[in-house]
Amino acid sequence: MSRELHIVGFQVGRETYGVPITSLHEIVRVPEITAVPDAPDYLEGVINLRGKIVSVMDLRKRFGEKQASLKKQNRILVVEHGGRLAGLIVDSASEVLKIPADAVEPPPAVFQEGGLNCVTGLGKVGGRLVVLLDMSKLLAPASLQADPVEKKNAKQEARAAGR
Amino acid sequence: MTQSPDERGLELRELFYETSQELLQALNDQALELEKQPGDEEIVRGIRRTVHTLKGDAAACGLRELSELAHQLEDALSVEGAAAHSAVAEIAFAIADAFVEMIAAYRRGGKLPSTKALSKRIQDLTAAPEAKKIRRGRKANAAATSKTAAAKSSAPKSPPLGTSAKPSSDWTEPERLAMTRAQSEGQDVVQVTVKMDPHCAMPIAGRQLVHNAISTMGPVIAVRPDVKSAAASKYVEFVLATMQTAEQIAAKCKIPTIVDEVTVELLLAPDPAAKKAEQIAEQPPVSDLPQASEAPSAEPVPPARTESPATQAIQENILRVEAGRIDNVLNLVGELIIGKSMLQQAISEFSRRYPKELLRGKFADAMTFQSRVLNDLQRSVMKIRMVPVDQLFRRFPRLVRDVARQCGREVELAVSGEDTDLDKGILDAIAEPLTHLVRNAVSHGIESADERRKAGKPPQGTVRLNAYHQGNHVILEVGDDGRGIDAPKIRAKALELGLTTPEDAARLTESDTLDFIFRPGFSTAEQVTEISGRGVGMDVVQSVLHRLKASINVETRSGEGTTFRLKLPLTLAIIRALLFWVEQRLYAIPLNAVVEIARTFESEVHQVDNYEVLQLRNQVLPLLRLGRPAPEQDRRAKLFVLVILVGERKYGLIVDALEGEEELVIKALDDQTFSTDLVSGASILGDGRVVLILNLPAVVEHVAQARPEEAGHAASGLLLSHTDRMRLAMTTGAGGQA
Repeated sequence: MSRELHIVGFQVGRETYGVPITSLHEIVRVPEITAVPDAPDYLEGVINLRGKIVSVMDLRKRFGEKQASLKKQNRILVVEHGGRLAGLIVDSASEVLKIPADAVEPPPAVFQEGGLNCVTGLGKVGGRLVVLLDMSKLLAPASLQADPVEKKNAKQEARAAGR
Repeated sequence: MTQSPDERGLELRELFYETSQELLQALNDQALELEKQPGDEEIVRGIRRTVHTLKGDAAACGLRELSELAHQLEDALSVEGAAAHSAVAEIAFAIADAFVEMIAAYRRGGKLPSTKALSKRIQDLTAAPEAKKIRRGRKANAAATSKTAAAKSSAPKSPPLGTSAKPSSDWTEPERLAMTRAQSEGQDVVQVTVKMDPHCAMPIAGRQLVHNAISTMGPVIAVRPDVKSAAASKYVEFVLATMQTAEQIAAKCKIPTIVDEVTVELLLAPDPAAKKAEQIAEQPPVSDLPQASEAPSAEPVPPARTESPATQAIQENILRVEAGRIDNVLNLVGELIIGKSMLQQAISEFSRRYPKELLRGKFADAMTFQSRVLNDLQRSVMKIRMVPVDQLFRRFPRLVRDVARQCGREVELAVSGEDTDLDKGILDAIAEPLTHLVRNAVSHGIESADERRKAGKPPQGTVRLNAYHQGNHVILEVGDDGRGIDAPKIRAKALELGLTTPEDAARLTESDTLDFIFRPGFSTAEQVTEISGRGVGMDVVQSVLHRLKASINVETRSGEGTTFRLKLPLTLAIIRALLFWVEQRLYAIPLNAVVEIARTFESEVHQVDNYEVLQLRNQVLPLLRLGRPAPEQDRRAKLFVLVILVGERKYGLIVDALEGEEELVIKALDDQTFSTDLVSGASILGDGRVVLILNLPAVVEHVAQARPEEAGHAASGLLLSHTDRMRLAMTTGAGGQA
């Protein structure tokens, strides 16, 4: 019984990541992004997706890359989660991968800590490793709020010196 | 068409949940009335009728426990003497609450609350000495009692069904007019008499189903008897203008298990001279009238009925629509408005490119026409969403009574302006804050009767609820004639909690001082009661109001009372906005918050207590710098200052440049992702750009809470993102504060 997982693969930095194809809404080029004040660094802002306002997160910044500028290959993966749309900026979106369910291993324990607790497993495709992401954890409000340093800094600066 | 019994059961149950709300409200109202006129038999009968309807409907849906409880009370009330018992009102309140809980429990499918204590009280009602003269054995013919009682109480004027007497004589004037009009348009005017199945346990809901079925076949002109009368559960008569045949109508109406028998009778055949009538339509319309009165039947026309036919007609014209569907339409209208600005831009570009093209005029005409229709459409859809605030106000008599009783106060509630319309979404959101305010007014505002007498006031306090329109806003007022808010006490408490420093406190104005009550955890009540005094409440009120882009102010006079004034926007969906640039980004604020736009120089900005202020004519404006901090050297730089009004106060927003004025359709930001309250929403412009709409009260509050330590760095950089800060730090070098 080899069930296959259909995964959309994309690059962030040097790694290939994957999300289930069922949670993908579409892939678009990066349009003009409107920044939202008082938001963590990796929340780029909002875009206009054919009349809908969609929030956009920069996965590269989320995964710890410091200098992330936008290039032509950059794409926004629009994913659907819990009835709402969210955009993820990635370096490039590559292909649809079919991974047999038994070729997926649970993530190593170290991934469960820190900012990477959204990893559900590691898939092996032709000698490559694909990091599978869990949308609900990636977009969960709790994980966004509890972001370590960035947000705190931003707040502090914004309020000169809080109460 | 055919439904399984299960589906119908579900449908009935849903219908019951909906109709029961109104019945419960009626029950509460009746109980309040009874409390004012204890022992009034007419009101007690009304209560029993309401309870009876609830009982029947509940039983039909298989909500056994509810129906049994209702049955108990109905029985008890039918016993002679019990009605005069003073506890009836009290029990009616209790049972209304119990019903609400039970219905909620049914809905969730959860555990039902215990009603033992309540049934004991109901039994006491009949056992009490006041009810000694029990005439009939309660158990023996309880059911019979209730039925005959119900029938008796509603003065059955309508003749029983099946007799040859035509009950159609009492159509009202407007109804008869409608009939003749339908006739002259070539439609059959038929009278459909539907006899309800005596075994149908939920006749009122059934009646609604029949009504729904009938209205699919043509306009329903009249319905008899009134839904409130007892006969309503036995039969219904509809007058219908239709093109269908009698058989078709009968088939449509015959809903098994609800309808027993359908008779269709032709009242007015289509006017064969309909066409001719059209040709001689120049005749004054008055000529319709005599024709109308002789048409329906040979019977003499009775004088207009005493029970207002107007209200009846209105009731039949009301549609119940799910709010979601209207929101859908509103969303589409919003998209249309975006579409309009897209078109407008395209056309202006077209005219620029082809200045001699004749088509330009045609485009412009079409554009004007379209935008006019669009405006009307928008206004009409908004109107659908408007509901009278009475929907909210009518829950307060009960609340005031309960709270007053709990704190041992004598309080009267005076309501005015209850027909003021407000957006349904706002109304729902405002319910909780308003409840807090009313509670506070009763428990904190109004003094005890003794205290009031000493102060020379009438022992009974008054809480006032008022609503009215003011420009683009609706104002809700909650006032009391109590002791007023003690400003020194608040100041002391603020000091104690460390919210202010002694030297600041001395300078606080009264309205500044009053603002402290909106801080989280602030309460001056000496003791915590169940009702209020926990220090939560006012900050909840404040946060809800922020979300709604509404504001609140307090007016208090020591010994004379306090008034809270809530200023709410008419609608949440579409605003006129002023667009401006800050740090190469476009933002918008509601135009009605903008008082004026001023130009000035950096050299005009002064520092007061580390806040930047601007003297504009004869007033001093606190400034909010949204973008980068003030440049060190350049004192000659020009500034744009938007003077805005938040609450009762003016502030100056320093912006980089102005873009213009536009009508914006507000879309919500994904608030699960963005936790900021600086932005209240976003909107899409005609060219596809996204603009953020600032939440001014929150912006002002952010600035007020940031206590500046360094001169000049007070309120700047609120809208800078992290990246902006990095960039600024790099470009300005040591001068920046990043």
